[in-house]
Amino acid sequence: MARILAVDDSAAMRQMVGITLTGAGHQVEQASDGVQALQIAERHKFDLVITDVNMPNMDGITLVRELRARAGYRFVPLLVLTTEATVERKQQGKAAGATGWLVKPFNPDRLLATVSKVLS
Amino acid sequence: MVKILPGEYYVSRGEESISTVLGSCVSACVRDPQRGVGGMNHFMLPEDTAVGPNDWLDPAVGLATRYGSYAMESLINDLLKLGASRERLEIKLFGGGQILAAMTDVGGRNIRFIRNYMTLEGYRVAAEDLGGTQPRKVVYFPDTGRARLRKLRPIENRIISRHEQLYLESLGRQSAGGDVELFE
Repeated sequence: MARILAVDDSAAMRQMVGITLTGAGHQVEQASDGVQALQIAERHKFDLVITDVNMPNMDGITLVRELRARAGYRFVPLLVLTTEATVERKQQGKAAGATGWLVKPFNPDRLLATVSKVLS
Repeated sequence: MVKILPGEYYVSRGEESISTVLGSCVSACVRDPQRGVGGMNHFMLPEDTAVGPNDWLDPAVGLATRYGSYAMESLINDLLKLGASRERLEIKLFGGGQILAAMTDVGGRNIRFIRNYMTLEGYRVAAEDLGGTQPRKVVYFPDTGRARLRKLRPIENRIISRHEQLYLESLGRQSAGGDVELFE
């Protein structure tokens, strides 16, 4: 069981990711944008962060960059889960320090498989 | 005029209109009146055969909703990129008919999904024409927000239903979907 922070500005999306992850026994906290996610991530320690890209206040790529700059998250897996599927965006994510990139509509089985892979 | 098919969406910043024909599928017509950008999607939820907790099968929160959420998010994200503001979005909803008596109530599932989605996301419905037994043709004018609706004769139901069935089957094939790439 891992402690996972799920970040998405869509409540419907957060709910779905939450159901998938808690169904697999993980403990999930949610944030609705990058700024809120950073605040929560600084207060609590997470084993994994899954973030959307297009969000108000702070987008997911900036969030990944900000998290990587913090000692507590230098080696924590950071996954991006987004409708964005272009090579350019993926490159930006990789350069910011993301561990992996998942394109929506997400497949719950694949999400869980990817989560166990990056956690092991 | 731009025509969209099941599974597609289109965003416009000009005077062009967008049209689609709906059986049990749902279309959201979304625009930012101040910014002058708008668009339309056309989607439905597949029958979900996933084995899991019961609420996964619930049309309000079930896993099939990922296709609906994806359709809504793709359209809205594109509008936001064109400068629309989430708070100003004007959303009109159409479709969700039960056009073939023999079919399970796919339209009803789609309506329950979109209503729940609107509530969850905090959006207000500006106008809607959902449910019933007739197919609809919708023509949307994003620059004015006008949506022209025409109910179609039942004689066209089988053709429309066939198109939607093909879309459903393609959703089934994509259900593996959602590419994963792990960086080194």
